[in-house]
Amino acid sequence: MKKTPPPHCPVDDALSRLQSAAEGNALQHPRSRRLVGQLATLVRDVAWGRAEMDHLSALDRLAAELAGFNADPHGAELGAALQAALDQHREVFESHVQTENCAAEVCDRLAPAPCQMACPAGIDVPTYVALIGEGRDAEAIEVIRRDNPFPWVCGLVCTRPCEFMCVRGRIDTPVSIKFLKAFAAERALSKGEYVNPPAAASKNRKVCVVGAGPGGMTAAYYLALKGYTVRVLEALPMAGGMMMVGIPRYRLPREVIDREVAMIEDLGVTFHFNTRFGRDVTLAQLQAEGFEAFFLAIGAHDSFRLGIEGEGDYPQVLQSIEFLKRVALGDRHMPGKRVVVIGGGNVAIDAARTCLRLGCSDVTLAYRRTRDEMPADIEEIEQAEEEDVRFNFLTVPVAVEGHDGRVTGLRCLQAELVSKPGSDRMFPVPIDGSEFVIPADAIISAIGQRVAQGSLTEIKSLGWTRRDTIHVNTATMATDVPGIFAAGDAVTGPATVVEAIGGGKRAAQAIDRFLNDIPQPNMPPVPVRRQRVAWTEVPAATKMALKRPHMPLLNMDRRRTTFQQVELGYTENMVREEARRCLRCDICRRCGRCVQVCRDKMGVDALQLGYLDFDHPGPTDFRLTQERCIACGACAENCPNDAMLIEERKGERVLHLCGTILSRQPLLFCDGCGASMGTARYRDYIRSRTKAVAPTIGRRMLCDACARKQSSMDRNIE
Amino acid sequence: MVFRRGQKIEVFQRSSDDMWEDYMDRFIGRHGIITDPDTSINDPDALVEVSLEGMGTHRLPQDCLRLLD
Repeated sequence: MKKTPPPHCPVDDALSRLQSAAEGNALQHPRSRRLVGQLATLVRDVAWGRAEMDHLSALDRLAAELAGFNADPHGAELGAALQAALDQHREVFESHVQTENCAAEVCDRLAPAPCQMACPAGIDVPTYVALIGEGRDAEAIEVIRRDNPFPWVCGLVCTRPCEFMCVRGRIDTPVSIKFLKAFAAERALSKGEYVNPPAAASKNRKVCVVGAGPGGMTAAYYLALKGYTVRVLEALPMAGGMMMVGIPRYRLPREVIDREVAMIEDLGVTFHFNTRFGRDVTLAQLQAEGFEAFFLAIGAHDSFRLGIEGEGDYPQVLQSIEFLKRVALGDRHMPGKRVVVIGGGNVAIDAARTCLRLGCSDVTLAYRRTRDEMPADIEEIEQAEEEDVRFNFLTVPVAVEGHDGRVTGLRCLQAELVSKPGSDRMFPVPIDGSEFVIPADAIISAIGQRVAQGSLTEIKSLGWTRRDTIHVNTATMATDVPGIFAAGDAVTGPATVVEAIGGGKRAAQAIDRFLNDIPQPNMPPVPVRRQRVAWTEVPAATKMALKRPHMPLLNMDRRRTTFQQVELGYTENMVREEARRCLRCDICRRCGRCVQVCRDKMGVDALQLGYLDFDHPGPTDFRLTQERCIACGACAENCPNDAMLIEERKGERVLHLCGTILSRQPLLFCDGCGASMGTARYRDYIRSRTKAVAPTIGRRMLCDACARKQSSMDRNIE
Repeated sequence: MVFRRGQKIEVFQRSSDDMWEDYMDRFIGRHGIITDPDTSINDPDALVEVSLEGMGTHRLPQDCLRLLD
C-alpha cells in the first residue's frame, strides 16, 4: 500500500525554523536576533490567520535584510532560506492571508473542522452554528452564503454529511446542523436581514448556464458576484430543477426555493424558461451572441425502465420522476386508488407519500431486498410508515397485469437474499412457485434515474463516462471541451442537492480562472474558514445534559391529505440550546496533548475526552474533570490552539475547553502578602511531591516568598 | 460490499474505475464515513459519497473502499 506522506505546510515550516533560531544560540548578532524575532512574529500572524497582505511585503523586506546581513552567517543563511520559501510558495502564503485557511491542515488555527471538511459545499459550520447560538442569525446566513446560496433549501433537504462527521456524535448524537440552518434562514428572511453581498463591477463577459437546478444556480450566483453577465437556460417553466420537480412540497415548500432563487435574480442573473438547450437554442447561436464559457447542469431526469412484461402497455404505468414533476407543476389527480411503487430509494418514498396526499387509499412500496438494504433515508422511511405506506419487501416484479387498457395489478415473485461466491453482497433471488399479485390501479417505477443525453448530442467532443454521465475533471469540473464545464447529477449521476451546489461553486471558480487565463488547480479546493467566532461558555454538566431536540411534525391527518410541510421546525429555544452542544472543532483540533500531559506527565488523568479519537472513540464525560482536576494549567499550557484555557476570575481558577467549563475551584491566597497561590488541590499536589524537601510552615498558608521569609525568621529566633 | 450510511471505511487502494483521478491517490490510507451510499438501486458499480477525515467529501468507486471494524 502506498504510504501517505505527512502533511506539510511552508508557512508552518518557516515558523518552526524561525522559532528554533530565535530560541537557540546560533544567532550571534543582536541585529539578526531582532530581525528573526520580527520575522517570527509576522509569520505567526500568517499561520494564525491574523495577517494582512502588507505582512507579506514586510516579510520580503525583513528577509532580504536578514539575508544581506553578512556579519552573522547563520542569520544570512536563514534569511536566504526564508526568501526562497516566500518566493517558491508565494501562493500558499497568500492563501493563508486571504482565505484564513491552511490547506494542509498543519497550521492549527486555520484548519477547518471535520463538519466543514465534510460539507461538499465547504460551509464554515462551526462559525455559523456559534453565531446562531448567539442569536446572530443574519450573520450566520452571510457566512453560509459565502459557500452556498441556498441555506434555507439545504436547511430542509440536505443529506447532511456534516452531521455524520460531527465530533459530538462520538459522545451522544451529532449537532442538528441542518435544522439550525433552516431556522436561521427563515428568521433572517423574516426580519429582512437576508441580503446579497455586493457584486463586483461588471466585467462585460458572458457565461451561459444550462439548467436552473441547484448546481446551475449556484454557479450563476458566484459568477454574478464576480461581475460576469450570466444567462440561465431552463427547459422547465420555473427555476429549481430537481429541487422543484423532484422533491415534494411537503419536504420543501415552493416559496423556499422561490425566495432563494429571487436573491440570485436580484444579482442580475437572467433566466430563460421553457428553453431547451440544443433544441430551442444551440451552442453555436450562444457563442455567436458572445457567450465565452458554458456550464452544463442538466441533471438526471430520465428514468431507468423496469424491463418487465406489460410495462409499456398501460398508461397507468408511470415513471416516478415524471409523476413527481407533474404533481410539482400543479396536477392533483391521483394516479389510481391502489398504487404500487417499485423501488427502495428516496424517490420511491417520495412517490409513495405523494400518492397518499393525492387521496390514494392503498399505497404499497415493493422492494426486492429488505428494509435494512433500503437506500432511502431512515427518517423518510419512518415517516412513510407512519403515514401508512405499506412495504412489501423481498418482492421482485415480473409483469404488469391488466385488461381493457387498464392496469389491474403487479405480478411479483417472493425473493430470498443469498450470497454469491466471491461477493459479500446479498442478492435477491426469486423463489420458485412464489408468484403472487398485488392488486393495483397504477404502478410507479422508481428504480433510478439517468442523464438525458439528447440535448447535448450536438456537442460532439463532449466526453461521457461508462455510467452515461458527463466526463469532467472533478478538480475543476471542466469537460473534455475547452470552455465547457459541468456539475450536478449530470456528472455524478443522481446525487444530492449539496453536492450539486459544491460542484456549481467549484465550476464558477474554474470558469473565472479559464476566462482570465489562470492555471487550474490539480485537486478540488479545501474549504475555507471564514471567521474564528468567540465561543459561548457552557458548564460541563449542561454540555453533557443537552440533548438533540426532536423535530415537531405536522399532525397525521394533514400529512395524509395536504402537501403542507411535515417538519415544522425547531422553536427558538431549541435552536439556541442545540447550538450550545457544538464542541467547536474549528478551535480544538483534537490533538490530545491536553489528555496526554494530564495523564502521563502530571499523573492526574482528569480529562476523559474519548471523542478525540476518530477510529476508536472512548467514553467522554466533561463533568469528571471537576472531580479530579488540580487546576495546574499544564493542559492549557500545552494546547497549541488556545482551545484549553485556564483563567483566574473572581477568586476562582477556571479551566475551560472551547467554552465548556471543566473545572472551577476557589483560589487560595497567601496569609502573608495576599498573593494568589493556586487551588487547594494544586497546593496538596505540590506538597505531596515536595514534603521530603520542604516542610510545611505550621498551618499557615504562605506563598513561596513569604514561606522563605518566615523560615529565615524562625531560624534567627532559634 | 454494500455500504450503508454512517459506516466507517478506509480507502485502501487505488480504484481501477475510470472515475479515479490522480489527486485521489492522496486519499489512500485515509479513513472516513459513508455519507451517501447509492441512494437508488443498490448498484455495486455506483459511486458512493464518502467523507474522508481531513480530505473532504468525495464520490468514489466502491472497489477502493473497505469497511473498518
